[in-house]
Amino acid sequence: MLTYDAYHRPTSLPEALRLWRDAPEGSRLVSGATDLLPAARDGRLGDVHLPALIDLTGVTELRGYDFANGHVALGAGTVYQDFLTDPVLRRALPCMPYVSIWFADDQIRETATLAGNLVNASPVADGTPPVVALNGLVELSKLDGDAITSRRVPVRDFITGPGRTVIAPGEIMTRVFLDTCYGYGGAFQKVGQRRSLVISVACCAALVKLDESGRVFEDVRLALGGVGPGPIRLDDSERMLRGEPLSEELMQAAAGLAAEKVASRSRRDYRRDVVVSFVRAALSEALSNAGAKAPLQTMEDMANV
Amino acid sequence: MSETRITCEVNGRKVARTVATHKRLLDLLRDDLNLTGTKEGCGAGECGTCSVFVDGKLVKSCLVPAARAEGARIETIEGLAGMGPLTPVQKAFHKTGASQCGYCIPGMVMAATNCLRLNPEADIDEIKERMGGNICRCTGYTKILEAVEIARDVIAGRRPEGDLDTDEPLGDSFIGHNVRRIDAPAKVTGRLRYAADMKLVDMLQMQVLRSPHPHARIVSIDTSVAEAMEGVECVITAADVPGKDGFGVFVHDQPIMARGKVRHVGEAVAAVAAEDLLTARRAVAAIKVEYEPLPVIGTPEDAIAPGAPVIHDYAPDNVVKHIPLRKGNPEAGFAEADLIIEDSFSTQSVEHAYLEPEAGVAFVDHDDVVTVHSPSQNITHHRHMLADILGLPINKVRMVMSAVGGGFGGKEDMIYQGMLALAAIRTRRPVQLNFTREESLIASAKRHPSKVSYKMGLKRTGKITAITFDMLSDGGAYGMSSEGVMRKAAILSCGPYEVHNLQVDTRAVYTNNTPSGAFRTFGGMQAQFATESMMDIAAEALGMDPFELRRINMYRKGSITHTQHRLDRASLDMVLDAAETASRWESGAPNVRGAARSDMGGPDTRQPCTLGARIVAEAADLSQGDHPTKASTEAAE
Repeated sequence: MLTYDAYHRPTSLPEALRLWRDAPEGSRLVSGATDLLPAARDGRLGDVHLPALIDLTGVTELRGYDFANGHVALGAGTVYQDFLTDPVLRRALPCMPYVSIWFADDQIRETATLAGNLVNASPVADGTPPVVALNGLVELSKLDGDAITSRRVPVRDFITGPGRTVIAPGEIMTRVFLDTCYGYGGAFQKVGQRRSLVISVACCAALVKLDESGRVFEDVRLALGGVGPGPIRLDDSERMLRGEPLSEELMQAAAGLAAEKVASRSRRDYRRDVVVSFVRAALSEALSNAGAKAPLQTMEDMANV
Repeated sequence: MSETRITCEVNGRKVARTVATHKRLLDLLRDDLNLTGTKEGCGAGECGTCSVFVDGKLVKSCLVPAARAEGARIETIEGLAGMGPLTPVQKAFHKTGASQCGYCIPGMVMAATNCLRLNPEADIDEIKERMGGNICRCTGYTKILEAVEIARDVIAGRRPEGDLDTDEPLGDSFIGHNVRRIDAPAKVTGRLRYAADMKLVDMLQMQVLRSPHPHARIVSIDTSVAEAMEGVECVITAADVPGKDGFGVFVHDQPIMARGKVRHVGEAVAAVAAEDLLTARRAVAAIKVEYEPLPVIGTPEDAIAPGAPVIHDYAPDNVVKHIPLRKGNPEAGFAEADLIIEDSFSTQSVEHAYLEPEAGVAFVDHDDVVTVHSPSQNITHHRHMLADILGLPINKVRMVMSAVGGGFGGKEDMIYQGMLALAAIRTRRPVQLNFTREESLIASAKRHPSKVSYKMGLKRTGKITAITFDMLSDGGAYGMSSEGVMRKAAILSCGPYEVHNLQVDTRAVYTNNTPSGAFRTFGGMQAQFATESMMDIAAEALGMDPFELRRINMYRKGSITHTQHRLDRASLDMVLDAAETASRWESGAPNVRGAARSDMGGPDTRQPCTLGARIVAEAADLSQGDHPTKASTEAAE
């Protein structure tokens, strides 16, 4: 059971930063609160008492998004459902609708934020692999006297381990910068025990861009989650494919490299097997969504061999 | 405890309440506004029984801090129809018989309503996807999904509204026919009150201290700090039980709270009744128990090993029940067999996971009658046991079966009603206990994990000549329904087949695991898993069609069952014919893949689970759009 003495609902960023700077030790920031409330239960954290919650959902500056220099700067209040319902975001971030559809369920996606998912730094977060694939940077803001100062940190450096990040006292994640990937095909693969509301055993985000001929990989982005303490970008696999013509053998070889990246301590052999099929399936799905001409093997075809 | 004033609009009416700051929206609705159609099935966002609209968006109210409702427009199940007629979604749920226990139904109706508001043309895949956050344990979802499709078509004008009020004509059979349930309107509107929805004047809330140890002696229990806390009305332990303490469906081996020692993790040790839930939880945390850990029995094999620790003094061999069946001469049967197959089969513990966690209310009425309302599946037996436990004549104990939000056997055990009754007697006030989902998982009985060692002898013709069937089941820490489950497992052991020579032994033994109890099929599933697997293995070994092998051995009119009962009729022949036709079975041994066998990837094979129906549907539209060429900012809602 979660209890707290105060619940603050700031409406501006300076107000939120001031409240956060002055909050008693142990206070928490919340946006969706969809991780905090289930955590404060028997079998997990048990009963939790906090001095204060600071609810960021009313902060105007954290809403919406901007485009600049090949990036989209997402306000930290961007919820997962936005990636499904907002046509502008869907075009700019072609893998995110697929991530979103596998994330929790429609109801939780209405309040759960991408930024919250990153800050919680769960090794099995669905949100981190796609952000890594999209060369994500997070903006961390704090008060310096009365002035707001910000720094930007690549997501790969931001998450340092399970539940651990470089966020400093007084800082609030205010924006997430992602590469815009117009014309890419996106995909997300996830294995879990249920279709909705399932925590990944492993997941893979993929983005593929074809050249004008439609037969050569112009760019490939691949990242894994759930197989180590943090998200893993598959740089080797990407290099193997970039600039090369589409071929089954090459994709299989690139997928094979993923097995070496599995660093989880539990169910390691299973995860090594699963990620190879996953990366292969994610590539197929992304290629299909990128409009590849050749008929490609699907996950179901592979399963029925 | 700090308080917050919340003003919001609920179902079209302005409301204002001062509530504890830490409450969730779910608590505000249920506790402060008495809108108990919104249920709490898990409290962790997993089940969807608490779905409500906040400013037009469907959310799980167990994950929403109440303070966030300030200024918001909230719509609950009670507001969908209001004072008017049922909505098409509600009527369709009634028509198809979609509500069974009903506990998930308010949330299901809300999710269906949300789906059709967002996409009135949603196809079945999208409906499934949009309702994916809501769990039902009774229906298998078929009737629910059918209802949503009917409602969609009525709302879209493709189907006459009158269809919702008329029933489909009954054909030859009720199987597959939708039957209206007379209690459906109460369920689809959220009006039906389950035990956790009851509120009585001056009612206390109970919380339970549970054992962290699988097996330990209780050295001491110090309740003094808890009892001294403001708002605590009573703290009870086994020492407060006035009568003969002990309950169980067969053997009364379980005290209402641990007496002298704990036998499984999650066993109740003490209970507090206090003015509110938070005080009760804090008081529970203040009870000090000193334990002396005892050797733990973790598996049924350990329980029957020589020198094993004894869990119950009355059963020094740790055996809850052994059911032996003997028929014919197995030795002779195996001697005449052409083929002998041996194998073993294990099944795991399974939780019922009814959407309604255990809940109850107890009070002592004006005539000194101790009254307990709870979703008990066995009120008469509970009443007799409780009278003994309380040391009262039977006419001073009353058990009322509240609406059961799913049971499946899991609510046959009296695991909390005794504590409620005792606290009501001690305080002379109504007392309520609502389990959390975690508490339900840890404290309620499970399906028996079992291991079956199987030996089957057959002639080349397929005729079974002998079977030995030895089942060892993990009964857990208390007897509960184990005896009956073992009896049923023995009766059904060798399946619906006539076997002249058999030796069947089913045993449930005590361990320090969560108690096993009644669960749908009551031992039949574990036995059938073994027997039917053996039949397929035998068919493969004999190169015989598995239907044929079953027909050769099946019970017929006049057959003698495993328990020496002569059957005056049998219907397995018809069942096999129907199954063979429906599955489009191509005759042959199980390991033969014939040209026409369509059991893999055939037309009735369930497709792999996918998501993204709406993405695919919208992709075509999107690909027509231009890329944005300039920075744009949109305020998210």
